[in-house]
Amino acid sequence: MGSLRISLGLAGRNLLLVRRVPSVFIPSLVMPLFILVATSGAFRGIGALPDFAGASYLAFTVPMAATMGAGFAGVNSGMTLARDLEGGFFDRLQASPASRIALLAGPLLAAVARSLFTTTVVYIAAMLGGVRFPGPLDTVVVYALAAAFASVASLWAIGIALRTKSVQASPLMQVVVFMSVFMSVAYTPRSALRGWLSHVADWNPVTFILEGSRNAQLAGITWDRLGPALLAVGILIALTGTFALRGLRRLDRNP
Amino acid sequence: MNLMLRQTGALAWRSVVTTIRIPQAWFPSLFFPLALLAIFTASFSNAPGRVPGFPPVRGFLDFAVAGSVLQGVLIAGTGAGSAFAADMETGFFDRLVASPVSRWAILIGRLGASVAQGIVQGLLFLGIAVAFGARVEGGLGGLLILVVFAALLAAAIGGIGVILALRTGSGEAVQGTFPLFFVLLFFSSAFFPRETMTGWYKAIADANPISHIVEGMRSQVIDGGDVRTTLVGLAFALGFAVLSVGISAITYRGRLATEGA
Repeated sequence: MGSLRISLGLAGRNLLLVRRVPSVFIPSLVMPLFILVATSGAFRGIGALPDFAGASYLAFTVPMAATMGAGFAGVNSGMTLARDLEGGFFDRLQASPASRIALLAGPLLAAVARSLFTTTVVYIAAMLGGVRFPGPLDTVVVYALAAAFASVASLWAIGIALRTKSVQASPLMQVVVFMSVFMSVAYTPRSALRGWLSHVADWNPVTFILEGSRNAQLAGITWDRLGPALLAVGILIALTGTFALRGLRRLDRNP
Repeated sequence: MNLMLRQTGALAWRSVVTTIRIPQAWFPSLFFPLALLAIFTASFSNAPGRVPGFPPVRGFLDFAVAGSVLQGVLIAGTGAGSAFAADMETGFFDRLVASPVSRWAILIGRLGASVAQGIVQGLLFLGIAVAFGARVEGGLGGLLILVVFAALLAAAIGGIGVILALRTGSGEAVQGTFPLFFVLLFFSSAFFPRETMTGWYKAIADANPISHIVEGMRSQVIDGGDVRTTLVGLAFALGFAVLSVGISAITYRGRLATEGA
């Protein structure tokens, strides 16, 4: 119970910081909106290909924008932790009797909460553009997969922050997360990809997360899409979670 | 005059060397445009010939390379502005102003380095695109026109960077303008043709000068340089460069007057 309260307290502090600092809050709002509007506006024509099966390109872009917004939320929680490490606040947390898991769960919860906000922003903008909400369960899947990706991005960014103890490492946190989305089925379905990207996308776990989310958004959930998405989420959380925990242990050994 | 030229050359060379020595200064301007070029080419290679309104091109790589050159120059130009701001933050600018170096050599040297980086980067991008199968239909003439475009754009963006550096004195503030350029780029025909856009998005892309500049550049690659498209693109790029460099010169003079230099 103590660990839960500590995690919630840290998550609340993280979210409060987002609300109070415009330079953190505004990009959280603008980034997913920009991705949705710019991608669907610039590449709208590609939706005429038969690979899209007549789906509107704006609706097709919603899961990608939600995933990118969630990734941004995750990375930002890692950046906040890096600031706490630079400023010495994290030293005080380490010296406290709080469990190690609680120290990681705080920023992680904040990332998930922020991803709910960014996904809602994406949905509001998409609805203004004429996209309809899918069924209730399908909507939950889109939100849940975005939240899962936020967790993955957050754990990755936390792992980097714990190793570098510097906000200067932010570009590394961001580039890996964003490139993982771009090197998947971000702009077109797999059937339309050609060359190297088609091979990379086949092995990129983010492909399965996006396909699961897109399946829920455009056609309604089916297990042949949701199953691989959940598996990809599980693998990524296990990998990035281990990365973050090891980073924390390393910090404990060499403060 | 000869002395001023030598000083300008030395300061431009210093800027180039400083950029080369700091990977953070040049890596993003190479990596991101090339990564996006590779991703867009693999994602949209089915578009030419199948998407209604898509201009006739040999392949998507030919279509996209001009946008990538433009993107690279935009990022590099922002970096040049940041470097100028860093010189101000560290006091190097004040020491230069206090020395017997020509005042204009300081500004022209910085912009000259930006232009040099833009040209080298443009040629590098084109070389890489050609190695992966792109073809510049305009031949050597088209290539020279592309170099002129890259130089004008680099001067224009470098000028904006200098204006911001002089006004804010902060490298972070100059870097903070990068997302604005990125927005301008996406709301244009840099990555996909205007003919395939609709509604208010198309209206913005039609009005966006970046669309006309990139189309002038693209024309050299895909159709050997349509005269009207090329001239319109060059006019926008030249106007942009003259305006930006002119304002940077006025801002610079104002700064020197304030410092009593």
